Amino acid sequence: MTASSRLQRGDDVTARFLEWIWHVKGSLALTADQSADEALTKLGPLFNQSGTSYERRGDTLTFSKKDQAAQDKMSIFDGGVLKIEREPAGPVLRYHLTSRALLFCFLAPLLFLSFAGLTIAAGKFSKPPAEETAKKEDKKDKALPQHWIDKALGAPAPEKPKKDDKKKDEGKGPKPTAAYVFAGLFAALYVVGRILEGRLVKSLFRKSLLS
Amino acid sequence: MDGVRVGKRVIGAQAPVIIGWENIGRVEGGPLKQFIFTWFQPTALFALIVFWYYAPNSIAKASTAIGIGIAFKVLLLALEWVSPRYESWRLTWKELVTDLFYVGLGYTILDLIEHYIGSGAVIEAIQHSFDWDKLAWFTGLPLLVQAFLISFIFDFGQYWMHRGMHNWYPLWLPHSVHHYITQLNINKGAVGNPIELFLIGLGIGGFFDFLPRAALLAGTFGLTIGIYQHINVRFNTPRWWRFLFNTTEHHSLHHSQDFEATRSNYSNTYIFIDRIFGTCVDGEAELLGLEGGRRMSIREQMTYPFTEGWKTIKERYGRPETAVPAE
Repeated sequence: MTASSRLQRGDDVTARFLEWIWHVKGSLALTADQSADEALTKLGPLFNQSGTSYERRGDTLTFSKKDQAAQDKMSIFDGGVLKIEREPAGPVLRYHLTSRALLFCFLAPLLFLSFAGLTIAAGKFSKPPAEETAKKEDKKDKALPQHWIDKALGAPAPEKPKKDDKKKDEGKGPKPTAAYVFAGLFAALYVVGRILEGRLVKSLFRKSLLS
Repeated sequence: MDGVRVGKRVIGAQAPVIIGWENIGRVEGGPLKQFIFTWFQPTALFALIVFWYYAPNSIAKASTAIGIGIAFKVLLLALEWVSPRYESWRLTWKELVTDLFYVGLGYTILDLIEHYIGSGAVIEAIQHSFDWDKLAWFTGLPLLVQAFLISFIFDFGQYWMHRGMHNWYPLWLPHSVHHYITQLNINKGAVGNPIELFLIGLGIGGFFDFLPRAALLAGTFGLTIGIYQHINVRFNTPRWWRFLFNTTEHHSLHHSQDFEATRSNYSNTYIFIDRIFGTCVDGEAELLGLEGGRRMSIREQMTYPFTEGWKTIKERYGRPETAVPAE
């Protein structure tokens, strides 16, 4: 294999991976006696949804969606092509669907990581001067009261925050922890969604074709 | 559609709604299920009040509250899964991702903005410039009174802000985005244009000094009462509860596709504020949203107040196109 063909192959693999992020492809074997027209007619009701337009041409159905309702079973997809192909083993439904929601979820961790960076940067620029902090501490150094009802009912007496804790508190603005947590959450949700939605749409097509 | 007369208004003339508690469906199933879905809400409320009232100081802190909040939300999501109020509101992967995106914004970038220019920062600046001490007497009140007042003052402010949003076009623009949701789920309260989320978070509670434990108790009221506004679970909510507190029934009516129905039930936690000011309507709706239930994409949710506002300004103040007479 030459260097240029290796490079070409590497580019193809990258392109295929990038496409896999938000493109869902699959196939489903039809029963031998099912014609393309019959199969597409059975799948038709899936596209009779608000915000969905579709067109049938021969053995191919092309659809696109805009502002699809949450109740639409294919709401995650924005467009796609379904094609019935004749193969030696029998007719097969091949589909190629695109989903901006999957792409969005894939990119969301990056957005939240940038929020984390922004939070850290904002914290560095806005540290209060040491004098002001000391003044505040003096002012608040009073005992906290407890109402006699709370005392009688046995609630723990309020505790003055310890000086060390106070110092810690004064120095901190918003922390980047939440942003990291959400970045991780969206990464996990992406993996779940990419697998789950691929399976759900396949089972949806199967059920429609069997109905 | 005829609609139902409620006071001077006719509700449900544009979209189907159910008016009156006696007409709202009840939980179906065996006695155990009935028992759980009747007593779940009061039990959770009182259990958490007792917990926060008696928890040792080493446990009664914000990190514990965050942990309980997350665990409680996960439990409610499980309840939504097991016993949805409406099948059409069932949470999908896409809806969950969208909702969590907005929850995430609230915990990160909005929190950052709120920290520097929100009500907390403004109040601190006012107190600093006038050399006021906070209203220190507040800390001498019984804990539960402090907690109720903290949450009530916030809810009272929110009631008027929310009512203002439904009555003044510049405030309606950012809030309208939240009304494009077509189902209610636990995290749907976070969905909206960031400007609105910032506005609705403003409060004057920062003027008061209060015991940390009272703030935790106030947070519990929000967690165990306000959270049910956007839940997709049917409960046999006790009569006293629905008289005092906002419920998913009230809030579904507020999100209905019927215009008159949306002009009701503005409070977040205490529905008695609506009862006092004559805006409470008891009932529920399944069909939610605006423009016949059109779902807005996140991109449009971010830009809609600006594009729509610009369109309106152009219509109102733009130079009218002069017609060129035909020769």
